Amino acid sequence: MNTSNGLHLDDDQLAWAVVDEAELPFPLREHLSTCPVCRANREKTAENLARLGQMAARFAPSPPKPVALPVKEPRAVVKWSWGWRAYASAALAAALVLAVLWRAPVFRNPSRENGNTLAVEMQETEQFMTEIAMLVDNALPAVYLDISAESSAGLDDEFMEFVVPSVEDESLTYNSRKRGVSLC
Amino acid sequence: MRLMSQIVEKQDQAQRPGTGPQLASLVEEARAGSRKAFEQLMVLFQEDIFRMVYYRTRSSMDAEDLTQEVFTQAYKNISRLKAVDRFRSWLFQIALNRIRDFNRKRRFRSLFGAFGDTRETAETPAGVSGQPKALDNLMAEDFWKQVELFLNKLSRMEKEVFSLRFMDHLSIKEISQALGKSESTIKTHLYRSIGKFKADHSMHQLIQEDVA
Repeated sequence: MNTSNGLHLDDDQLAWAVVDEAELPFPLREHLSTCPVCRANREKTAENLARLGQMAARFAPSPPKPVALPVKEPRAVVKWSWGWRAYASAALAAALVLAVLWRAPVFRNPSRENGNTLAVEMQETEQFMTEIAMLVDNALPAVYLDISAESSAGLDDEFMEFVVPSVEDESLTYNSRKRGVSLC
Repeated sequence: MRLMSQIVEKQDQAQRPGTGPQLASLVEEARAGSRKAFEQLMVLFQEDIFRMVYYRTRSSMDAEDLTQEVFTQAYKNISRLKAVDRFRSWLFQIALNRIRDFNRKRRFRSLFGAFGDTRETAETPAGVSGQPKALDNLMAEDFWKQVELFLNKLSRMEKEVFSLRFMDHLSIKEISQALGKSESTIKTHLYRSIGKFKADHSMHQLIQEDVA
């Protein structure tokens, strides 16, 4: 390829020289400027390419008729002037957007939401447990309490002791259940 | 020694219509809403865009329709053009998008057999080369067939970059603006496509025959 060895530019370098001579390294450019063989090669390629363009133009028809423009006028360059109405509208629109976004779930505080939910759940649980405790004390509804005499006054512990006395002698009771044993 | 690349560059500049401050003022006026200024821009660029579309569709009817669409779209959106000096690449960008849409629709329709390949036999204006029209047509047909064979050897980006540079005469900067790629990427694709062009003997033969 090159200059110091007395060689000429190769095909790739000649192609680069046709595209843009400035892209070649300096020694090659220098060689190209002084070597008539390389210059002739480059000019030959450039000439062939130019002739190709000329032939293409020659073998293409001319436009049959001039182009006509549409009747409508083009849009002129619009220059925006921002009056107070525009600013007010923009501010209103921005406020609306912010209001909508504020309501969106994305902008809610999740930890706060979780805290509130937990408190409500605890309150519900407590209420539920209270209801259960009430049911344990009085399983029947108030309507049935009169029938079952659960709500009657005077049926205190003393009366109940009288009606159903507690068993005091456990061993006697136990022995009496045994077969073949008689009391003395 | 005569520098061919400089000549090519000068040819490119000569083929670029209305460059410089005149173009910039026209684009500026068109951006401000001047229909007359845009009509002058259309006169300047109509042929470029028509040919560019024709190279890719090979149908003068489609090229005519698409050119019309490109300018209509450009006229509607010229107020969005940021930099005045990007008008040409912007116009080519619109054209590339329109062609892409057109090809997509064509492929979709061809699936149902309602719309086949509309590429017509290449048309040449009578008397350009002083030869009978039938011979011109044959030469054109042969030329486009060879070009298509060569372009099919390139990747999609290489094909686009090569066509924009050497057939549509856009600069590397304009190509990078039209395709939305960096200049170094464009140069890399150009370099690869030039390598394949140099290796393609049928293209060289075609060009040498034309020279002869």
